[in-house]
Amino acid sequence: MRKVYMIVVLVGFVAIVGNHLISPSTGRAVSPEDFAGACAPCGAPCPVK
Amino acid sequence: MSTVTLSAPKAGAANGIDYLFLSAAMIATAILVALVLLDGQTASAGLILGGFALGVAFLKAEFSYTASWRRFIARGEAGGLLGGLIVIAVAALAVVPVAALSKNFGGAIAPIGPSLLVGSFVFGIGMQLANGCGSGTLYTAGGGSGRMLIALAFFVIGSVFGSLSLPGFLALGGINPILASDYLGPWGGLAATLASLVVVAAIVVAIARKRGANYKPSRTYIVGGVIIGLLCIAVFAAGGHPWSVTFGYTVWGAKIFNALGFDFSHAEFWQWPGPKHALSESVLSDTSSLTDFGMVFGAMAAAAATKRFAATAWPPFKSLLAAAIGGLLCGWGARLGFGCNIGAFIGGVASGSVHGWIWFVCAMAGSFVGIQFRPLFGLSKD
Repeated sequence: MRKVYMIVVLVGFVAIVGNHLISPSTGRAVSPEDFAGACAPCGAPCPVK
Repeated sequence: MSTVTLSAPKAGAANGIDYLFLSAAMIATAILVALVLLDGQTASAGLILGGFALGVAFLKAEFSYTASWRRFIARGEAGGLLGGLIVIAVAALAVVPVAALSKNFGGAIAPIGPSLLVGSFVFGIGMQLANGCGSGTLYTAGGGSGRMLIALAFFVIGSVFGSLSLPGFLALGGINPILASDYLGPWGGLAATLASLVVVAAIVVAIARKRGANYKPSRTYIVGGVIIGLLCIAVFAAGGHPWSVTFGYTVWGAKIFNALGFDFSHAEFWQWPGPKHALSESVLSDTSSLTDFGMVFGAMAAAAATKRFAATAWPPFKSLLAAAIGGLLCGWGARLGFGCNIGAFIGGVASGSVHGWIWFVCAMAGSFVGIQFRPLFGLSKD
């Protein structure tokens, strides 16, 4: 199991850093709730507008 | 007659410390903090470190919503459940008034309708099969449980399926979020939230006493509950919203599927501004991902600091199958139910939002059903 963990941790960490380096990062970290019209933590709209 | 085999301690695991994984966790956390600080994002660094502390706290307190709920349902024991309510009470002291008084902060709100009811019920089934909720899966996977690594992987996949199902369920209708502070003001909302916690705690204690079970939380759960509640406040202060876990899983899954060639440009969920932004931006721009990463490495560091990391054997296949099925159900349910025990239950109730209590009741019912399925996978009912 340790070998599996070593691989998962390594691959996961490289993926995190890689995604950060190749993706835009336009300012402070946000939650979908920060956007207008969001009605839930995932950013879903309200049933009644 | 038994045979005892003595062997020399493994290199690097002397004094019970697994230096390899301890240093890996610390270095990974330091690099992530450095990356966000290079972008000038001190709040993001705070979220990573807050998650790290939560990982340590959960692992050290062995704080488990899943096991606590199962003990309550199966045996009537209420101590763990009450420990979870302590977390909410502490967090509510800051979240309800600050979210109501400051434009820079917001509570965890969600609409009430079929999506919430179905999602939280399915999540409850899933958490008993996976043997972990959102936070539980995260810290136990980070803490060296290979079984929970499987659960986490399928949790991520399930949450992507959930993102595709959610708009259809929302189309079935529902009502807008109901927030106590909208009706009673910041302090009246806080009073109502704390009163609701007292009422639920009294009901839970009454049920435990009627069943002749222990209802007193252990010292570890009381101390752990207060510390985790304070850390929830710290994450709220850094991120502007209550701590959430599972949206990060959805983003990771969608990014992986995207990399494999799947196109989400026609998926309604991924056209909403928040998810669309999260999918296109760096994973370190998403608040829940930041605390998730911190929590995994915090749990890893705490586990590796005390014993040889991930040294146990893989569990039987049936147990791994339960983890996979449970993870899928948790992921799908969390997306439809607007979060897990953390984002929907702790975050919702601590914000004074009615959906948090509805989530709790439905997830508890789902847990009851999930417990009945556990023996099929060689897992105990309690």
